[in-house]
Amino acid sequence: MRKSLFFIPFVLFIALAAFLFSGLFSDPRQHGSALVSKPLPAFLLPDLMAPQRMLSADDLKGKVYLLNVWGLWCPTCNAELGFLTELRQQGIEIVGLYYVQPQDSAFGETFDLAALQKDVAKKLAEQGNPYQLNILDEKRSLIFDLGVTGAPETFLIDAQGQIRAHHVGDINPQNWPALAAQYQAVLQEAQAAAALTQQSIGATNAP
Amino acid sequence: MRPKMQLFSRAFARLLLALCLCPAFATTAAEELLPFKDAQQQALYRELTAELRCPKCQNQNIADSNAVVAVDMREKTYQLVQQGQNKEQVIDYMKQRYGDFVHYQPPVQWSTIWLWLAPLLLLAGLFWVMLQKQQKVQQLQQTDAVDPELEQKLQAMIEQAMAEKSSKEPD
Repeated sequence: MRKSLFFIPFVLFIALAAFLFSGLFSDPRQHGSALVSKPLPAFLLPDLMAPQRMLSADDLKGKVYLLNVWGLWCPTCNAELGFLTELRQQGIEIVGLYYVQPQDSAFGETFDLAALQKDVAKKLAEQGNPYQLNILDEKRSLIFDLGVTGAPETFLIDAQGQIRAHHVGDINPQNWPALAAQYQAVLQEAQAAAALTQQSIGATNAP
Repeated sequence: MRPKMQLFSRAFARLLLALCLCPAFATTAAEELLPFKDAQQQALYRELTAELRCPKCQNQNIADSNAVVAVDMREKTYQLVQQGQNKEQVIDYMKQRYGDFVHYQPPVQWSTIWLWLAPLLLLAGLFWVMLQKQQKVQQLQQTDAVDPELEQKLQAMIEQAMAEKSSKEPD
């Protein structure tokens, strides 16, 4: 009894040391996402390259894709473009969500869509274009509703329009395999669901 | 020469005073950009921006930070406060988007319960150790029952030693 009591402070110390040691390897920028397993928030935003076309969450439903938050002002996003383009060539669907930084009117900065379109087109021609389309979020409303803290950030959206993963930071060959596994799982799920509905349609159509 | 000096020093003092007042004017100017309906809403806005945490920064509240996300959160907080939402509603709104991380007061959950339990457990443990010690002392006192004969003998020995010591000491 006495001897076991003697070990209590020692065990407490080891536990505390282990807890603090594990903290050395944790990323303070990773603090979970409140959005995972929730539907993509409702929005009505223009297509960056064809602003007369308004896009909504329903327009994107029905396919599995990555929603990539990016901007020309963000160097990490630009570095990521090459790898994302490779992924697109492998058949991964990627939708861009263009992050417009606030303009400081005191310095005479205004939002110039034509100039932005030109710069984006030039950049994507140089680095490769991973995007099926780009959503323009000038006021950062969808970006705010998605809990985005900066760029780049990437969301995995399933065929029902549910957010399945939220990745903060760039996608690169090192961290892609983990996200790829999730993407494939969600894709298979969607294919299985599609096959099932087709089967049931076939069954009802059969005499 | 003298009056000239005086004039100069007076002008300098005025300049100094003006400079000192400058930051005060600056802050009032910044606050005027956010007109509030009443002092209550203004106080709520101040409270919220102090309590909400910037999700991009390492430990800054949104009042302190000029990260884009903090600026957007301040603006949203202002809008929601103006719409007449209460503190709880604004915090919930932010939590739905940025998670529990965004508020400095953590919610009571299974994963966070230790924040409250650990100090209590530690206190209870300390109390238990103190109680144990107290009991031990009492036990010792009880077992060390005083023997009157031994006490007398000891007293005699002490007195003898004292007497010897005083007789030996030179005057």
